[in-house]
Amino acid sequence: MSEHAIQLTINGRRHTGRVEARTSLGDFLRADAGYTGVHIGCEHGVCGACTVVVDGRAVRSCLMLAVQADGAEVTTVEGLADPEGTLHPVQQAMRDAHGLQCGFCTPGVVMTFAALTAEGAKPTEEQLIAAMSGHICRCTGYQGIRKAARILTSGDTA
Amino acid sequence: MKPAPFDYVAPTTVAEACQILSEAGGGATVIAGGQTLMPLLNLRMSQPFILVDVNRIEGFAGVTRVSNGTRIGPTTRQADALNDKVLARELPALVQALSHVGHHQTRNRGTIGGSIALGEPAAEMPATAVALGATIEIASVRGTRRVAARDFYIGPYMTVLEPDELVTGIVYPDWLEGHHVLFREVARRPGDFALVGMVGAAVVESGTIARAGLAWFGMGPTPIGMNRLEGALVGEALDRLDLDALAAVGLADAAPFDDHHASAEYRRTVGRRIFVKTMREAFALREPA
Amino acid sequence: MSEADAPARREGAPGIGAARWIGKRVPRKEDARLLTGRGQYTDDVMLPGTLHVAFARSQIARGNIVSIDTGAALDVPGVHSIMLAKDLARQPITMMSFFFTPSEVPITPLADTYVQYVGDPLALVIAETRAIAEDAAALIAVEYEELEPVVTVAQAMGGPPIHPGTDSNVSAEIGDEEPEGELLDALNAAAHRVRQTVVHQRISQAPMENRAILATREGPEELTLYITCQSPHNIARWVSLALGLPEAAIRVIAKDVGGSFGLKNTPWKEECAVICAAMLFGRPLKWTEDRYEALTASAQAREAEMRLEVGFDADGRMQASHGIYDCNNGAYPQGADNNIAVHMFMWPAYKMPTYGFVSRGWYTNTNGLAAYRGPWAMESLIRETLLDKAARKIGIDPVEIRRGNLVYLSDQPTTSCMGIPVDDITPGECLEKLVANFDIPAFRREQANARREGRYLGLGIATYIEPTGSAGSMAPMTGELAQVRIEPTGKVTAAMSTHSQGHGTATTMAQCIADRLGVRYEDVTVYEGDNTRGGFGPGAAGSRQGVIGGGAAIRASEMLADKVKTLAAHLYNASPESVSIEEGIVHIAGAPEMSRPIGELANIAYGEPHRLPPGFEAGLEVQFRYQPPPMTMTSAAHACVVEVDADTGFVKILRWIASEDCGTVINPAVVEGQVAGGLAQAIGMVLLEDMPYDARGNPMAATFKDYLLPAITDVPIFEYIHANTPSKTIGGMRGVGEGGAIIGPPTLVNAIADALSPFGEIEELVLPLTPARILDVIEQRDVSGTARLRAGVREMEEAAATAIPQAGPANAMAPPAASLVLPGGTKTAAATAAAIDGDWNLVLKMPMGPQAMVAHFQTDGGVLSGYLSASEGRQEFAGGSWGEGCARFEVKVEQPMKITLKYDLQVDEDAISGRCKMGMFGSAKVTGERAGRR
Repeated sequence: MSEHAIQLTINGRRHTGRVEARTSLGDFLRADAGYTGVHIGCEHGVCGACTVVVDGRAVRSCLMLAVQADGAEVTTVEGLADPEGTLHPVQQAMRDAHGLQCGFCTPGVVMTFAALTAEGAKPTEEQLIAAMSGHICRCTGYQGIRKAARILTSGDTA
Repeated sequence: MKPAPFDYVAPTTVAEACQILSEAGGGATVIAGGQTLMPLLNLRMSQPFILVDVNRIEGFAGVTRVSNGTRIGPTTRQADALNDKVLARELPALVQALSHVGHHQTRNRGTIGGSIALGEPAAEMPATAVALGATIEIASVRGTRRVAARDFYIGPYMTVLEPDELVTGIVYPDWLEGHHVLFREVARRPGDFALVGMVGAAVVESGTIARAGLAWFGMGPTPIGMNRLEGALVGEALDRLDLDALAAVGLADAAPFDDHHASAEYRRTVGRRIFVKTMREAFALREPA
Repeated sequence: MSEADAPARREGAPGIGAARWIGKRVPRKEDARLLTGRGQYTDDVMLPGTLHVAFARSQIARGNIVSIDTGAALDVPGVHSIMLAKDLARQPITMMSFFFTPSEVPITPLADTYVQYVGDPLALVIAETRAIAEDAAALIAVEYEELEPVVTVAQAMGGPPIHPGTDSNVSAEIGDEEPEGELLDALNAAAHRVRQTVVHQRISQAPMENRAILATREGPEELTLYITCQSPHNIARWVSLALGLPEAAIRVIAKDVGGSFGLKNTPWKEECAVICAAMLFGRPLKWTEDRYEALTASAQAREAEMRLEVGFDADGRMQASHGIYDCNNGAYPQGADNNIAVHMFMWPAYKMPTYGFVSRGWYTNTNGLAAYRGPWAMESLIRETLLDKAARKIGIDPVEIRRGNLVYLSDQPTTSCMGIPVDDITPGECLEKLVANFDIPAFRREQANARREGRYLGLGIATYIEPTGSAGSMAPMTGELAQVRIEPTGKVTAAMSTHSQGHGTATTMAQCIADRLGVRYEDVTVYEGDNTRGGFGPGAAGSRQGVIGGGAAIRASEMLADKVKTLAAHLYNASPESVSIEEGIVHIAGAPEMSRPIGELANIAYGEPHRLPPGFEAGLEVQFRYQPPPMTMTSAAHACVVEVDADTGFVKILRWIASEDCGTVINPAVVEGQVAGGLAQAIGMVLLEDMPYDARGNPMAATFKDYLLPAITDVPIFEYIHANTPSKTIGGMRGVGEGGAIIGPPTLVNAIADALSPFGEIEELVLPLTPARILDVIEQRDVSGTARLRAGVREMEEAAATAIPQAGPANAMAPPAASLVLPGGTKTAAATAAAIDGDWNLVLKMPMGPQAMVAHFQTDGGVLSGYLSASEGRQEFAGGSWGEGCARFEVKVEQPMKITLKYDLQVDEDAISGRCKMGMFGSAKVTGERAGRR
């Protein structure tokens, strides 16, 4: 089995590592890089818990090999809040909307919202909800996630 | 759910990729977007010795106009194709079908070529290629060849691709401006494979169907081109279409099956209905009294 | 939005100022860490030296293990060890049910000589990485002698017993199969007899975080477990008993848990295997279940079939009812279950004069069942869907049929036909509030108009009650402990016995404490998730934590406030009554200059003992264990509107209103979150989720591509009416965790059935209602193939009922199989004349599992007397009869309720068998043998 030296940027910090070819980006982020906020829920791309942002796009980190992320810029849920602890607008909206219960699917949900609302993008509520069809939440019945989508698109509060 | 061990290579040219595939002697698997292959690797249902990543092949992604057609590079991300202005203009049926492929997050990485080469029988892209009359460009160390999408699929996840071959492009013929899009899909949830779906295009000239291309998905072991139906449609006047009879012709080529999600009878029953409904809407036909 | 947003001041809240925290939609304490990726789930924990575990599992559903070859697997670089059942046996473990009873059938963490389901673990691989462990597991070669699997209940009825040493596949049974006596007469006299059948599919609990455990033995006397679970306290108790190691200190940590829904109550085969391996191997071992394992080899839930009949008079008033419930328990259920609660809670909300039932659990070669949110939910599903069927048949409105039969507050107190005291339920009041908030006539007009356009709308209404906050009536249910401290800093910390798998108990408990102590919510921190913090609590099971934990937190805080007041009164020479605490400031009435931050008093309480009143215990710490009433009832009525697409059979939910009485609402957002989550799971059960097995016992939904969980597009926006009446518990809460998953399914099914009513009835409710099954009704033909399948099942059940006498309780009086072949030939007259005098080991098959006891009999001519002795105590009896090998006697018991148990036993040499009639619970099977025989 081949091994590969990779270098990537994770949450704004340069990270170098050596990975087996078969190591998924999700496992690499958790076990090698220490970003355990990346949650592995199904390892077949359906549940969405492992979603991270790679080069500006929300992708499943279980459906990408770590070696494929060589040279990429990766953001995980740990990279959103500012260092002083102020929540990212997506995180704040989710908190205000009671958008989570057990919190396991939450990092993925947050990263999809974050990717779609980044850099002045103005998605519609419907677009956010459509993207949320790629996340399974077993706890909330999606009520708070819908509310968060509304907050993020309308500026309303919960 | 960790893959069995494999070697990984990421060639930067088609020639290099073909060389690797040739030397692997059938032990290599090509990965593009990986959105279907990665689950199979994780489940150890696919255990290649070498994984050949084509994402770093230069010029492998992108949409270009070619003579009388549009060419999609195999590693063109589904999300990019969905937002592509050329495709929106030339192949609206493909774009509409694309919006049903997976989810936002998988379309960000999934590719058109990967979906075409994999040949999932209930997926949208293979059926779209069949319906629209696309041609698959294939390369290997032995040379290049072109295969019509209709001849490309031979069984569930089975195509005419040899182990040493690589899909290098998909060329869709032009459909005249103003052609009709025929698309409908019935799936349990957004992003699920279709229980039954149909995709196609039709050109109408002075009230008569001049050209038609249609295919079923989720209705058999492969995407199914409605060959007999297309023959029956061409030359028919819109105001004289007997949709129920045509649906029967369309269904004659399908081979619906029972599975965990629906029975063959359901697929047949609903297939007939979505056919009639789609045709009626596309051609603005009135419901019979 | 709701009444609960305006916190109501209840009487008796002592000395609290304006800031009320109970009833507020405050942000959750848990969210800041969970939203920033700083949660700590079990797989996030890594200890130095950790090795990883993967399992080799059975590929067949039933068979004997001929050989296991681990040679090639052991050669994989990075593999440290491979353990088989015989290796793990060096660390004995007694696996127990959810109720802490030993499993009736032998169960070991790894399969030893035979396998009982696809996925049955048979080897444990320890390796450097999970991937390597999987590489090795794939190389373990197992040779089987394959046996014909028993997959369905119908096969279990007629097939061979799957467990060696058992005489049938009945894992548990109780009740009487046929209605008899007054019940039968009442049914026969009814103007309308309405029947409903529900075939409930198997469900995967599917929490987003799969099972996981990290076990480390720290020296010979300490074991630490990080495990995703429903209560670290309950796990510690279970593991301690299971390992039987009184010397070992067992620490269990579960800080964050990614959902559970009943799955993680009890460690099961894999967790136990990892615990034993860690005890033996001496390195920290981690196993994180992957989704394939979770779907194919984890415990599952629900699969059951029920038939219910109700007799109504001409006006639609209930006269009598009989129910038959059969549950597919799988091979190793977490509690061999015939789910008596299905029957107990079938009718207490209704004026049902008489009810009889039979309930059976069956062993099959499938994954064992575990709990799932509202494990007895079949009662609401079958009752409420039957009621709508009856309303259509009798020609009355669905609301009216309920109004005519529901127990309203004005009807209480009363006692249900099964002896349950009913004095605190409000299903009727919830229904009235629901109806007042939904214009049914307007909907009926809209529905009629839509039908003319070929659109099929339907309205479903359902009502229910639910027992919540269970404590003290069965293991492991206990009260909850609150330990509340004002730290010397003035901050308040509490160690609670509660535990959150998403429930947000760190939030709601902090609200209770802040409210009753008079401090700011922001200044309260609640610690849980570690059995070394806080006292025992069984955790989240049975919608209990808000009720009991909340009550404990409230009372402990009130006691602590009293302590602060005593101290302040002493220090400032005031009366305790004049002291109040508001937002963390201690005030003396009429002396504003005396106001002090609570921390100042805390400093004195801890650090200046000479300033404390005489007899005042230093520090500001209080603990209170709340032992609530045995159960607290929650009531609700829900309405749902759907549109069914007659072309495709797809269902779109247009509206859903929940009118719920969960008593005092601690946090409306948390309550609504629980209701919504349960309803989403209800939608999944009715429309999407399905875990079928093929004929060879292979689970067919191995991924989330096949096991369909509700997505955001499947779940509507829910509307809530909080129809709350405080309960009789401290704080007045009622449990709310499971309700949505119980009342949701019948509400949705009723809406669909209403939409389909122009086409016909859903004759047999086979779940899930897939588009194809809905077309079955619309087209009145077998589009889905379900009718064909069900006909085959009925044929098999009928054949089983006639062919195998031992399998059916109707024939349970037949002598045990062992007695049929006696040494020396056929049954002899001497056998029936065997003596009964002396001690016997008896097993009574109770609803919660087998109850073992010792019976002592003595005869005086034909008169029988003696006693029955179990761990709970000893019951004497006299005046029984004995003759012809037949013993009959009666025992009166007080717990859990007053019942006279009537035993009817047959002695055959050293074996004894028969039945025990347990009042309204029907009869249960008794088996046993003469003591000292082996």
